[in-house]
Amino acid sequence: MKEHRDEGIVEELWKIFSSMKLGLVLLGLVALVAGLGTVFPQANLEPEKAKAVGQIWQTLGFTQIYSTIWFRLLLGLLCINLIICSIQRFQGIYRRTFGLKPPESASTVPNKMNVKLTGESESLKKSVHDVLGRNGFKVTTTESNKGWSFIGIKRRWGNWGSLISHISFVVLVIGAILGTTMGFKGFAMISAGSTIPINSINVSKGTVKQDFSVHIYSAEDRFLANGERDNWYTDIGIIENGQEITRQTISVNHPLTYKGVTFYQSSFANGARLIADIKEQKIPMVLQDRGGNYFQAPGTDLYLIVAAMKNDPQSPAILYQVYRGTGVEPVQTGQLNAGQTIDVQGEYKLTFEGSAGFTGLQIKQDPGVWVVWLGCALLLLGLMLSFYWRTMVVSGFFESGQGPDGELTMGAMAGKVAGRVQKEFDRLIHDIQAK
Amino acid sequence: MNQGLLNLETSAFYVMLMAYTLCMFFYWAWMGSKKDLMGQFATYLAIVGLIANTAAIILRMIIAGRPPLSNSYEFLLTFVWGITLVHLFIEYRYKLRSLGGFVMPISFLILMFIIMSMGPEERIAQAIPPALKSKWLTFHVLTATLAYGAFAISFGLGIMYLLKMSRGADNKTNPQGVISRFPDLETIDELSYKVIGFAFPLLTLCIITGAIWANYAWGTYWSWDPKETWSLITWIIYAAYLHARLMYGWKGKRAAWMTIFGFAAVLFTFFGVNYFLPGLHSYASSQLISIV
Ligand code: HEM
Repeated sequence: MKEHRDEGIVEELWKIFSSMKLGLVLLGLVALVAGLGTVFPQANLEPEKAKAVGQIWQTLGFTQIYSTIWFRLLLGLLCINLIICSIQRFQGIYRRTFGLKPPESASTVPNKMNVKLTGESESLKKSVHDVLGRNGFKVTTTESNKGWSFIGIKRRWGNWGSLISHISFVVLVIGAILGTTMGFKGFAMISAGSTIPINSINVSKGTVKQDFSVHIYSAEDRFLANGERDNWYTDIGIIENGQEITRQTISVNHPLTYKGVTFYQSSFANGARLIADIKEQKIPMVLQDRGGNYFQAPGTDLYLIVAAMKNDPQSPAILYQVYRGTGVEPVQTGQLNAGQTIDVQGEYKLTFEGSAGFTGLQIKQDPGVWVVWLGCALLLLGLMLSFYWRTMVVSGFFESGQGPDGELTMGAMAGKVAGRVQKEFDRLIHDIQAK
Repeated sequence: MNQGLLNLETSAFYVMLMAYTLCMFFYWAWMGSKKDLMGQFATYLAIVGLIANTAAIILRMIIAGRPPLSNSYEFLLTFVWGITLVHLFIEYRYKLRSLGGFVMPISFLILMFIIMSMGPEERIAQAIPPALKSKWLTFHVLTATLAYGAFAISFGLGIMYLLKMSRGADNKTNPQGVISRFPDLETIDELSYKVIGFAFPLLTLCIITGAIWANYAWGTYWSWDPKETWSLITWIIYAAYLHARLMYGWKGKRAAWMTIFGFAAVLFTFFGVNYFLPGLHSYASSQLISIV
């Protein structure tokens, strides 16, 4: 009794999830929620504005709509819908592609597009075979005591298009899940000449499990002869267990991947190489233009920044500022040319050695990205098959009359674009008659 | 930069503008007067406009030394190109001249938008940031051009369908009316489906190539930036159109409304996201993506 009821529920659920009505509703909801996310500022794109949205909206997840459980649930339901729908349709599609049987009587020939030809049995059969074969149809024929019948199929893979596009969507979602659950995403601003362990970068998602280091040999902002920016280039080395494994120059649109971790050139800033000389101890540093970072001389409460920078390769110069403690006004400012040394508040000596680039690297591991590309490829394949490779099926039944003559009833299945099928069908008939 | 080429590009733009504008009026004149000469003029003007349009795009490519995709101006230029190309193909293939009266105004309005809202400094070839230097972007824009062009055509067909349907009764009493020149309802409807069937895979390819490019440039194939999100919404609308048609036989009037709705989403993806949605510019990459 109980089992019976369970089965009822399973069946009920199966029926709901195999319906396209649910599919369309889900697609509509996805579109709606996605649209809302472009009206509310999203925390990952505009953190400040997102914080200014009313608390209740934030709690409900409107400012990070694409990572809310609701949105994910929608996508999950859509996937279940698509999987069940595909399972249900598989057999039918298989039968319509590989299990075609010639009609058993003239009345089972498709009758929307239908023609009757009279003629002599053998010559008609031959011309049907010739014409269909020449036009790329795969033909199956059967003989019976009443006559013969045939069915021909062309572009048979077209039938699989919709199934492949549906599965591809599930593949895409799986790829996206792999990326968010198993990967990481981080950012680092690194000065030329420095080495940092990969697990020390700032991550906005996931954790870094790898333990190699990267060394930045150089970071450059290159220009073309006409004065336009060429690209940003970073000469980067991967160091593992004290050994350099590989070295490569990356630029925007040309990343480097090592052990699943990819380094993308994403931004660039100018910086200055400086040396602080404190009590005979020399401390080298690189400070970023426009106060991107600061230097606190050990044993003092002096903070040094580079407020501006002239990046002329011949004679670089910086505008420096020194602050004391939490003071808002600098206690010392000035310009430094390359090679020049000055005294900072009697505490240490500062030498400007030259310019050095800061490279902004997006560092990411996404084990799902290949699954996503696979999904994209399947999606395209499915759509191309659906729309540019439509299956065509023609069939016919020949009924012998007196003597060798008889009547061939021939028809084609009117697909989604009846006009085109009709044209092709007419041409086939014309060719067969011409024989 | 070569001043001669620049002047040539400007001339090509104005020849195109004039040809398209006149062509729109000739299509209308033809529909009103049924003088075949008018119709032929309209078609020839569309061809002249397309040639000038192509020239403007190629000259821009030579001047800038890259595909024409660095700013809204260049994208709109190729958008109009796509519309006219698909239109002329359909007009030739299906002998459907009356479509011009509904499609050319779209191109005309886009060109007016360029003239009214874009200053010369927005129209010149600009230096592009490193992120835009990618071959994927070329495919991205090319597929967008063709897909959007085709969606514009299906929009025109949708309007024709609705007009013809609402005047159905008049038509019998007035067989000389403009609308009598339209093909029958079923033909318009099926053609519209065919055009969308052609464009939908292209729109998909456009979104995918955009994702591949974004992944090379920023390491994120999808970031739910408003531009991306609206292209997805557009995609879903057309997917819904295809399914509703297939399963529930949504043809005719409902299908025609869907094509109008879909094209509104196309336009919003381009204009709305750039001009109406607040606060996009704080995100560096959205400015770059905002081309398509
Ligand atoms: C996620 C996005 C989806 C895509 C990209 C997609 C794609 C397609 C395509 C390209 C076709 C062929 C259409 C044609 O030839 O005109 C199709 C048909 C179909 N789709 Fe979808 N689909 C999606 C979602 C769904 C959902 C959620 C359902 C509901 C379960 C569904 C059920 C069907 C059915 C039953 C057909 C009919 C196939 C036929 O008879 O040829 N689809 N789909």
